[in-house]
Amino acid sequence: MTDPSTQADDVGEMMEAVSESCVYCRCGCCKDGCPVYEEVLEESMSPKGRNELIRAVLKGIVEPDERAMRIAYSCLLCRRDEESCGARLKNSEAVEQFRAFLLRRGLEMLPEHRDLANSLRNYGNPWGQARSSRKRWASAATWSQRAPQPGSNLLFVGCTFALDRSLLATPRAVASIMDKTGGSFQVMLEDEVCCGSTIKRIGEERMFSELRKANCESILFSGARRVVTPCSGCYKTIAQDYGDMLQGVEVMHSTQYILEVLRSQRLRVAGLDATVTYHDPCHLGRYAGIYDEPREILGFISGLSLVEMRNSRELSMCCGGGGGVKTAYGDLSLRVARKRVREAERTGASILVTACPFCVQTLSAASESLDSSVTVEEISVLVDRLSADGGGGES
Amino acid sequence: MIDGEEREEVRRLLVGMLGEEKVLWRAADTVLYRKDTYRIPFESDYEYAPDLVVLPETSDEVREVVRLASERRIPLIPKGGGSNRTGMLVPIHGGIIVDTIKMDGIMELNHRDLHVTAQTGVTLKKLEEYLNEHGFTLTQEQGSHRMATVGGAISTSAFSRKNQKHGTIANRVMSLEVVLADGRKLRTGPKVLYTSTGIGLHHLFIGAEGTLGIVTEATLRVEPLPEERDMVLAFFDDFWRANDAAQRLMSSCVTFTGGEAYEAADAESLGAPEGKKGLFYVGLDGTRGEVEAEREYVRGIVRELGGVIADEEHTRAYMDRYTEQWCGARVETRFEDVLTTYVPMDRIEEFYDRLWGDIMKRHGIRPIPGDRYGLDVGRYKMVGGRYKVPEGADGWREYQAALEEVATLATELGGSISSCHGVGIQHKENIRLEYTEVALDVMRGIKRILDPENIMNPGKKLPDDVGSP
Repeated sequence: MTDPSTQADDVGEMMEAVSESCVYCRCGCCKDGCPVYEEVLEESMSPKGRNELIRAVLKGIVEPDERAMRIAYSCLLCRRDEESCGARLKNSEAVEQFRAFLLRRGLEMLPEHRDLANSLRNYGNPWGQARSSRKRWASAATWSQRAPQPGSNLLFVGCTFALDRSLLATPRAVASIMDKTGGSFQVMLEDEVCCGSTIKRIGEERMFSELRKANCESILFSGARRVVTPCSGCYKTIAQDYGDMLQGVEVMHSTQYILEVLRSQRLRVAGLDATVTYHDPCHLGRYAGIYDEPREILGFISGLSLVEMRNSRELSMCCGGGGGVKTAYGDLSLRVARKRVREAERTGASILVTACPFCVQTLSAASESLDSSVTVEEISVLVDRLSADGGGGES
Repeated sequence: MIDGEEREEVRRLLVGMLGEEKVLWRAADTVLYRKDTYRIPFESDYEYAPDLVVLPETSDEVREVVRLASERRIPLIPKGGGSNRTGMLVPIHGGIIVDTIKMDGIMELNHRDLHVTAQTGVTLKKLEEYLNEHGFTLTQEQGSHRMATVGGAISTSAFSRKNQKHGTIANRVMSLEVVLADGRKLRTGPKVLYTSTGIGLHHLFIGAEGTLGIVTEATLRVEPLPEERDMVLAFFDDFWRANDAAQRLMSSCVTFTGGEAYEAADAESLGAPEGKKGLFYVGLDGTRGEVEAEREYVRGIVRELGGVIADEEHTRAYMDRYTEQWCGARVETRFEDVLTTYVPMDRIEEFYDRLWGDIMKRHGIRPIPGDRYGLDVGRYKMVGGRYKVPEGADGWREYQAALEEVATLATELGGSISSCHGVGIQHKENIRLEYTEVALDVMRGIKRILDPENIMNPGKKLPDDVGSP
């Protein structure tokens, strides 16, 4: 079947093509599996409903207002609906464009998102923290400090891993692994700025362009030939949304790096007697097709039994943390995350492993709120604690 | 339509009953309720609009909405999954859409008496998953399975591809709870499958398209999950050879679940040898031994009539893709429509000859490749076809004229205009061809008793002389 969404060259045209195609069909199959729709049971907050709104706005039938903004920002951008859509319409991309379109038309950004944008403008991160906080994760470093060398790896930590105190174990673990296996690597510490993922999903194109430019200049100036990041959002953004601005630089997710060093036996891991399930982050799975690498990593851990959730890989359900929904609809986000944790519980696993800061945040909060028997662990933290040389610092 | 001032007053009253979040009134929310999947001219997409939309969660909330609408004579349009194809959800007189999708509770599964009771907003898929987890099945499997609701399936008397062995949802209804137009709650009868007492009131609401009341709860017959299920998929030179196999099967003693014969545009991708365009499949379920024996019997028919049996891999893939065929199909075909005509088996050839050889050709309507011929194999006798609808005002007029001729043909041959998509606004005048004046008069009488003010989905299902608000 021809993909109608790819028939339009211009990204703005894609929004039009997708909504037009969807409204011709109106089947509503996208609702099946849409994490937001399944929670709220309001069709206007389904991919079909948003496409109806986009088309009506473009045709001048509906004048966009605050409610239209709320509907536009109710999407997790998780792309789960594309797996249910027979025509595989790119609804998430259409929504992302629609958000930018609404802001260009002068509609007010949601107040919850305005704080993120102001923080990005002032501090280079969306979480309202000083630039100097960005180096906090490296303060307890046990990895050896070496002078950066041209051609080496660059560890791009990302705002959330660097600034959420509960997540600092991840950058420390990745640094530890890189130190043990790759020789020299660089970190940007307080000079790193947001990759722009959050603001791009919100639709603020100009700010995204500025952040992209700043990061590209820093990365190219560093001379690094490879950027490694543990953040799925940063990975998707740098690898896919930076276009050809980083020519000659390879972008890797930490799971790809870890698998590489495990395969080459530069890293060895001890066994673990545990039943584990893996949650596919949307930006890593459906957006980048990285499904096998994390599972292969887990396969290196002897004694570990990997069990899949009912919805996994392409059909994985979002954790509830995507698309700015966590900020704008906190309660909804938690409900989506709880549903995912319950799905993990049904596998009988004791550990829910994932590879994205937002997934760790939302699923951990959900697990805690449910008093669940499942604990959430980021994959590089798990690998590092089982690696021969011990951990990468206190968390 | 209700005027602006009254609309605001009604909105406030509804908010008082249901809460702010369950009353939709802003254009950004209500735009998607302007139309269902009916092919009204695309340029008229935004011609109609509901005044308000409500999302009740309980039958008591439905009752409050109905009472208010009844007092003020406001049209009510009950909605399920929204996949209807004949316009029964189009708010042609404005009014309040009662969207039942939040009414998705499953109240009781009775393991020994084999029935389930659920609110009618639950999707067929969700209900089936629940039943499967407990070792049961509803056996209702329609193309729109993933988003169609129990209430929508009942109200359209929907098709099931397992109809031959297990019937359709119409055969599964044991008892219904219905909110009537005056706000009373009707329980149609006890939760029993067979009774010889009373008048079978639940039958009135099957296929009523929301014109007699709002079905809020259903008790449905379920079956234990079969030990085995399988399919025979086979290819023939063309549709007519596949039809021969279908006819032979129907005169056999095999209790298959259902099947189809059609002309497949993508037969080779489904595993057909080059040049074989006629597809025939038959579903089977039951005990392992039963399925094995029936599979061999059906394969024997296929071989005898020169068919080629698909390998296991293609058969499995085909079994799983059934509900996907419907989804997204119109993205590619755009402005299309479909026939679900009921035609007696010995008149199929005559029907198709006149359909494509005369009627559609004269009106400039062409079949979509692969959808010229289609037959539901079994007692359902659905004879279908899909086609491009000519665009523009002239095209629309041609199309309406063609539909009337097709309706005349189907009824002349002793069949029915629509076997499973209902009447809506598409066929409401043409059903005069199918029913006698006495039958229509009885229908009018039932409508008058149950909905004297004609607030329940007015302008649908019955010809216009039944009255509009």
